[in-house]
Amino acid sequence: MMKKFVMLVCIFVFLGAGSALAATPKKGGTPAAEPKKEAVAKPKKGGTLVYGRGGDSVGLDPAYETDGNSFMICDNIFEALVFYKDESTALEPGLATSWEISSDGLTYTFKLRKGVKFHDGTAFNADAVVFSIGRMMKNRNVKFSGKGWEIPKQERPPEYWVSMGMDDTVDAIEATDEYTVVFKLKKVQAPFIANMGMDFADIISPTAFIKDPKAFVRNPVGTGPFKFVKWVKDDRINLEANKDYWDKAKGPYLDKMVFRVIPENSVRFLELKAGNITMMDFPNPADIEMARKDPKLQIISQQGMNIGYLGFNHKKELWKNLKLRLAVAHAINRKAIVDKIYQGMGEVAKNCIPPTMWGYNKEVPGYDYDVALAKKYLAEAGYPEGKDLPEITLWSMPVARPYNPEGLKVGVAMLGDLGKIGIKARIVSYDWGTYLKRQREQGQDMDLFQLGWTGDNGDPDNFLAVLFDGMESAAVRTQWQNEDFHRLMGEGRTTVDQGKRAEIYKKAQQIMYDECPVLPIAHSIVVSPELKKVRNFKLHPTNSVRMKSVWLQ
Amino acid sequence: MNENAPAKMGWGHLAARCPLRARNPEERHPIFDQIEKFLKNKTGVAGLIIIVFFTLAAILAPLLTPYDPNENALYEQLKPPVWAEGGAAKNLLGTDDMGRDLLTRMIYGARVSLTLGVVSVGIAFLVGSFLGAIAGYYKGWPDSLIMRIMDIILAFPHILLAIVIVAYLGPGLRNAMMAIGIINIPRFARIVRASVMEEYGKDYVTAARAVGAGNRRIIFNAILPNCLAPIIVQASLGFGAAILDAAGLSFLGLGAQPPMSEWGAMIAQGRQLILRAWWVMTLPGIAILFAVLGFNLFGDGLRDALDPRLRD
Repeated sequence: MMKKFVMLVCIFVFLGAGSALAATPKKGGTPAAEPKKEAVAKPKKGGTLVYGRGGDSVGLDPAYETDGNSFMICDNIFEALVFYKDESTALEPGLATSWEISSDGLTYTFKLRKGVKFHDGTAFNADAVVFSIGRMMKNRNVKFSGKGWEIPKQERPPEYWVSMGMDDTVDAIEATDEYTVVFKLKKVQAPFIANMGMDFADIISPTAFIKDPKAFVRNPVGTGPFKFVKWVKDDRINLEANKDYWDKAKGPYLDKMVFRVIPENSVRFLELKAGNITMMDFPNPADIEMARKDPKLQIISQQGMNIGYLGFNHKKELWKNLKLRLAVAHAINRKAIVDKIYQGMGEVAKNCIPPTMWGYNKEVPGYDYDVALAKKYLAEAGYPEGKDLPEITLWSMPVARPYNPEGLKVGVAMLGDLGKIGIKARIVSYDWGTYLKRQREQGQDMDLFQLGWTGDNGDPDNFLAVLFDGMESAAVRTQWQNEDFHRLMGEGRTTVDQGKRAEIYKKAQQIMYDECPVLPIAHSIVVSPELKKVRNFKLHPTNSVRMKSVWLQ
Repeated sequence: MNENAPAKMGWGHLAARCPLRARNPEERHPIFDQIEKFLKNKTGVAGLIIIVFFTLAAILAPLLTPYDPNENALYEQLKPPVWAEGGAAKNLLGTDDMGRDLLTRMIYGARVSLTLGVVSVGIAFLVGSFLGAIAGYYKGWPDSLIMRIMDIILAFPHILLAIVIVAYLGPGLRNAMMAIGIINIPRFARIVRASVMEEYGKDYVTAARAVGAGNRRIIFNAILPNCLAPIIVQASLGFGAAILDAAGLSFLGLGAQPPMSEWGAMIAQGRQLILRAWWVMTLPGIAILFAVLGFNLFGDGLRDALDPRLRD
């Protein structure tokens, strides 16, 4: 028995050494060129694209899902009334060709695209929109233009709809004729039109849904460029081209798509290197350099619409102490973390919204890395040199997310920095599901926590209010209670003029700087390595993976 | 109690019969013959040397290295070992991805591994010997009860059982040590039970009973000291297994938590870097290899020296 173990270790070690030797970087290898702009190249039809990703989808009904891996598939099967542009959250016509907003901001009228069909042959029309969106309402205040459908009862709460408070916003949805839908709102909601481009507002085939409401999450039917074929849980999802897609000028070019689940980042990368998959998400930052050197690979990158931050547990008496929060903020060397753990794929954050977003407050100075100042704050907080301060817990994310590629390493780095000013801390981590659940409970065993966010719709409200306004709801992950901030969030949502809204959000960012409810860490650059033959894949700020116009050389 | 109890009873007789004082080889305690025999076993001695080497490293850790094992220096990350291209004498075995000196972490890792070996084998040794002695001495229902429980524990694949225990107690080195201790209890219990049964009928036990010694005294002062040989062998072999199991648990993220410098955790951390910085994963692997090898060679050597069935 024992000898077998020793043998195993031997084999392990020598394998390690062997592959290490094999992997010694060759000198003079040509650095991989960034993908060339081939504006004139004519897209080629056909081929199968295999996408390697870290986790499986939870379900494929966009109204009910909340995770990126589910939306990644939905993005290709379904479409919404409005589209986000290829590389921004600016809006363009989608299933609606145009829309009008009444002068009081309470009525939205959408004119729909004609001649669009769902994958099952059902015609897309106003009733389908009323059905798709209306099924999320608690109080089904809807009107069909044709004979319509009886909307089945909800199996579970549509999470996005609920957490965005849409029931308090949308009063009624009416189809006034076959291609016109009117949304009546209860109150002015500036981000409403952008929200209609989010995944949860995708339009589904009512006939397919009615046939078996429970099975729809495994059998999605939409209007998008790809049709659902097969889902092998935790292994793969197969899609095929929708030959009758309405926008033939833009795609789809691929015949088939396979989304394979390969949980381990480095294994996924090796699969890509071997050419077994065509592209992948979330490479280890450490592997990016290798991808650049690999002549078979190209790298696409984009400034992500995201924020990774370190939160304080405001439910705990200890962290109501502003000086203590400031001590932590100044003690952590975020530049070193971004340089060496994000491997430079990001920038140190000053605010909790990304700098590419309107309303970003450039004037906020940000917290400098300053050990002396941190020590001073610590003393003023009542814990000179960390005396009398109990050992604190630093919750570190167990998974790679776009805004934080290696939570545990970031945690270790922070631990070292906190130790330098005399704060003793230890790392706590759970599996991702448990982590998110327990974080929401805000127990007394949590002091600091790492989290982050990728924006859904490009609106500052989707960052600041959703993440930090603890007075809005107990579901907000940072339970910070600040009257001024809460008031500004309310104003921001009900003001229509974007210039005025920008001012409001700038003020809110200043308050966040002064009060330090969380320590913003970084806005990361999202990177996707892919085989050289992939053309026209664009990373979207919302992290949606859209294959409509992608083709293979 | 009787001051002149038979010489084999109790522990004090060893010192009285140390080879220096015992001129007459007839009076020498047999353990010194066994030591001599062990010293003739080359692989056993090699194992012992390895163990001494790691033990010294663990004890003298702060003297051997100028660095703190947990001090990050991100801008110094992934420096190769001194013999590789780009290496420098500043970090003899290079640095890991947090810029920590790898040699320092491995030396401190020896501390962690040896401590956990002592603790987990200690738990298994104490509890296992106690249960085994009870079972072997009283026989009957205590024997059936204890040994069936031991059989149940043994029926589990043992790393799986350790994972279950740690999952229940929560991850962390302390709980990992407990788990490894618990899964090793049956091995000790079985060996001790068999030895106790063998010794039970011997004359000195009967003699002890005749002079009025109670059950407790007979078990712990008379019988157990005479069962030591197989227990020691099992302990030294178990030590290596414990280090391996702990490394396995840490590799799975259930043992030592970051930033603790534990070899298994270091391998887990280096796994992602295997293509870019082979040393981060390979060197702690070699440390585990040698430590476990050392204990196994030592254990085998001891068995050859102590096991009466293997005597020439």
